[in-house]
Amino acid sequence: MYAAAVQDLIDELGRLPGIGPKSAQRIAFHLLKLPRDDALRLARSITTVKDRVSWCRRCFNIAEGGADPEVECGICTDDRRDGTVVCVVEEPRDVVAIEKTREFRGRYHVLQGAISPIDGIGPDKLRIRELLGRLQTEGIEELILCTNPNIEGDATAMYLTALLKDLPVKVSQLASGLPVGGDLEYADEITLGRALEGRRSVSG
Amino acid sequence: MYLEQLFLSDFRSYGEAEFSPAPHGITVVTGANGAGKTNLIEAVAYLSTLKSLRASPSAALIRAGAPSGSAVLRSRVRHDARLVTVDAELHATGRDRVQVNGQVLRRTRDLLGALQVTVFSPDDLSLVKGPPAGRRSYLDDLLVALQPRRYDLLSELERVLKQRNALLKSALAGRAGGGVGWRPGRPLPDDVKITLDVWDAKLVTVGESLVAARRELVDELQPLVEGAYGSLASGSAAPSRLSTTLAYEVSWSGSLAAALDAARPDDLRRGVTTVGPQRDDVALAIGALPARTHASQGEQRTLALALRLAGHRLLAAALDTPPVLLLDDVFSELDAARADSLMANLPALSETQAIVTTAGELPSGASPAAWFRVEDGKLLV
Repeated sequence: MYAAAVQDLIDELGRLPGIGPKSAQRIAFHLLKLPRDDALRLARSITTVKDRVSWCRRCFNIAEGGADPEVECGICTDDRRDGTVVCVVEEPRDVVAIEKTREFRGRYHVLQGAISPIDGIGPDKLRIRELLGRLQTEGIEELILCTNPNIEGDATAMYLTALLKDLPVKVSQLASGLPVGGDLEYADEITLGRALEGRRSVSG
Repeated sequence: MYLEQLFLSDFRSYGEAEFSPAPHGITVVTGANGAGKTNLIEAVAYLSTLKSLRASPSAALIRAGAPSGSAVLRSRVRHDARLVTVDAELHATGRDRVQVNGQVLRRTRDLLGALQVTVFSPDDLSLVKGPPAGRRSYLDDLLVALQPRRYDLLSELERVLKQRNALLKSALAGRAGGGVGWRPGRPLPDDVKITLDVWDAKLVTVGESLVAARRELVDELQPLVEGAYGSLASGSAAPSRLSTTLAYEVSWSGSLAAALDAARPDDLRRGVTTVGPQRDDVALAIGALPARTHASQGEQRTLALALRLAGHRLLAAALDTPPVLLLDDVFSELDAARADSLMANLPALSETQAIVTTAGELPSGASPAAWFRVEDGKLLV
C-alpha cells in the first residue's frame, strides 16, 4: 500500500511492545513529517544505545561499555556495595525500582524474565545457571527473591527456592502486603490474605 | 436494583433501539421467532458480566453491516437512590471499551455488581442434562456475583492451568529441559520436574480454596433448590419425586497434592491436567436417582428452573436487592401447570424487575406492567 521504505518502517515499529498496527502507522507518518535532524537524532540514539550498552556479564543488568563482553555494570563495579547480599529480580527496570528506595546496599542478579511455559520460557531461558555460578565464586550469603507478585513471578521464586534449598545460602523473599497510604477496606482479598500470612509480631 | 434505560446501537439485530422496562413487575417483550427477543436479553446480560450469553466473541455481537464496525450499549441502572451508568463499546477489531459512571473500566472485576441479573433460558436444561462444565460455571458465576473478589481466584486457576498444560505439552515435545521429549517410563529432566512441582503447588493452593468455596455454596443452595423444586413440581409429581439433592463431587480422592502426583504420568502423556477443580461436578438427584439419566424431560426442566430460582434467592438475600430477572422464552418450554407455578413462584415481583420474552401467550397468572414488541430489529412500544 505504501512505498516499501515506509511500509518497512511501519512493520518495524509494529514489532515494538505495546504498539499495534494503527499506532505504528501514526508514528511512522509523524517521523516522515519530522525535520531531518530530529529524526536522525532518534536513529542515532538507538544506534548509540545498541553500541554502548549491553548486559553486565555478572548480574545481567544493563551496563555501559561498548561491545566489550567483559563489561560490568556500575553496581557490580562499585566497591562500597555489599557483595554478600544479592537481590534477584526479573528485569533491569526492577533494579531501578529497588535502587530508588535507597534502602538496599547489596548487589543484584537480573533473571531477564520469569518462568512462563505459555511463552516457552523455562528455567533454562533465564539467567539461573549464571546465578548458581555466582553463588560458588562470590561469597554470597543471602539471596533476596524479588520477583513480581504474580503467578509467573511466584512460580519463579518457588523454583529458585527448590533449587537452592541444599545450598549454604540464606534465601528470603520480599514481603508482599498493603500499599502504604492505602485503605485496608480497598485491599483485594489476595493481597490482604498475603499480608496476614506475612504479619510480624510487634510485642510479646 | 433495576434497569431504568438501555440504549442499543448496532448490537446483534438492532440498528438503534431504546428500551425502558418497568421498574418492578413484569415487562413483556413479544415478537415472532427470530425477531430479536433473545438479543435484547443478551444485551442486558452482557452489561452485567461482559460475556455473551451464547458465548459469542465481541465481533459476533456487532450487527452485520454496521457502518462503524462497532456496537454500543448504554444503560442506566438504579440502585435505590443511586444511579449507575454502564456503557460498552464493542469493536470488531481492537479492544472493547467499558465505562462505569463515565470511568473507563480497567478490570472486569470492577464492573461486577453494577448490574446483577438472573437469566432463565431454554438452554438451562443443559445444567441438568449437559456436561459438568455447565454446572461448574453455574456455581462459579454465583460465587463471583456473591463476592466479586472471587473473580481473581477463578482467573488465577485458569492461568495456572494454562501454564501447567503448556509445560506438560512442551515436556512431551522435548522443548522444555532442552532434551528429548518425555516418554512413559522415562524419568523427567530435573528442570521440568521442579517446574512442574511449582505449578502443582500453585494449583493446590488455588484449587483447594475454590473447592472449599464451591462446597460451601452447594450447602447453601441445597435447601433453596429443594424448596424451589418442591413448590414448582407440587401438584404434578408424586411425593417421592419431590426431593432433590445436590452433591459436590471432586474429581480425585485424598488430597489434591497427592492426586496430582499420582496423575502426573497420565497428565504428561496427554498434555493436560486431569485432576483438579476444572474437572469437578455437581451431582443432581431427584428422588435419590441421578437426574441426568433417571428423570423425565419435564422433571429436568423443572430442576433447571429450581437451580436458577435458588441462585436468584441466594443473591437477593445476600445483596439486599434482588437481581433483575431475565426470562428468555421460558414459558414455551413448560406445560401449563408448570408455567403457572413458575409464575406463582417468581420472587416478590413488587420489588423485582422481570423482563420476559415470549413468542406466544403468557401464563394465566401474569399481569404485565409494560409491553414491548420486537419487529425487524426495531423495538416498538
